[in-house]
Amino acid sequence: MPLEGQLVILREQRRDDLAFLTSLQNEPQTQAWSLALPPDFTDVMYEKRYEAREFSYDPDEARFVIVLKETGELVGQIQYTGLERRWSAALGIITASKFWGTGVALDAQEVLLRFLFCELGLRVVRLFSHSGIPRAARLAEKSGFQVSGRMRQSIIKYGGLHDNLVLDLLREEYFARHPELADTLPAL
Amino acid sequence: MPKAPFVGKAVTLRPFEIDDSKALRDYLNHPELMGRRHIPWGYPEFLPLTEPQVHGLLERWATEERTVVLAIDAQVQRQGWGLSGEASQASQLIGHAEFSWGWDPHAPSVSVVIDPSQQRKGYGSEALVLLLEHLFAFTPAHNVSCWIAEWNEAGLSFAAANGFQTAGRMRRVGMYEGRPFDLIITDLLRPEFQARMAERGAAEQAQE
Repeated sequence: MPLEGQLVILREQRRDDLAFLTSLQNEPQTQAWSLALPPDFTDVMYEKRYEAREFSYDPDEARFVIVLKETGELVGQIQYTGLERRWSAALGIITASKFWGTGVALDAQEVLLRFLFCELGLRVVRLFSHSGIPRAARLAEKSGFQVSGRMRQSIIKYGGLHDNLVLDLLREEYFARHPELADTLPAL
Repeated sequence: MPKAPFVGKAVTLRPFEIDDSKALRDYLNHPELMGRRHIPWGYPEFLPLTEPQVHGLLERWATEERTVVLAIDAQVQRQGWGLSGEASQASQLIGHAEFSWGWDPHAPSVSVVIDPSQQRKGYGSEALVLLLEHLFAFTPAHNVSCWIAEWNEAGLSFAAANGFQTAGRMRRVGMYEGRPFDLIITDLLRPEFQARMAERGAAEQAQE
């Protein structure tokens, strides 16, 4: 069963998605780190990356395709990386620009956060962004993330210097925002 | 003639050799360093390291990409023995210094670890300055960060004394003595370091 929200479902990547994922990566505006990578990804590169994934009972990351429930359109990709079991992971999200401002990114983010806190039992979820893309930090803040670290002038983007932002969301902060969910894990 | 790299008044930074493994293990296993040894991910933070683990660590430091770890040597006073009992000076491994730039040499991180029995003698600050001089002279580094556990008061004082400013924190990175703790992020910009060095140079000239 896919992970499901009000507007979107998150499901595994499929071979048919690869052209969409390549185009998503090649649209500079939609890269999470915006212009950090050259927009020259090919379908073959993505296919190799897709083929390289092996089955594991102990994965430390997951990548999901975001699909619009109503139409089945592909919206973007959301992932977590650097999983420390029962402790932490970092979240990243990319959505096609035509879906910006529609609420689907926030819905996808909430679906993944629920999985990370309720199913994986994490104590904190992190997110890294920079001051050159305030839209990304604003999206994170809508789910309760707060900017806890700001490294000055440590990112070069758009021909200038920007601050590197460390954002995080603690388990108790997440559950305080979601009274409909009960947290039965004892506090540390 | 250009100044010799990594050679200071009291300390010298150099590559690690296999022969260093015993001295390295001795100070890494000092109880006061537990949790603040700045060793790679995957090694136990709060347990003594075995001889094979230290060999593995040296191998990893030698081969890890985008990371440089240097041994810190100092001229250390040694207690004399025998009939004369005279003290003598000898070069000794007292710690390690690291810089790592991940995917962006514009914003590397640094760390300095000193054997607790050799702390508070100025060795760490001198090693850090040598490291920063190299980073700002031979790489495009602009923001250098130093990440320190919030319970490591000595480390936080050390960073502040060397011009690093608090940039925030990464919350809840682990457990320490029964409680979750945060990492404090500190950073130093190229012009800030250059201004500190200019001030220091002027002060030294005035003293001469």
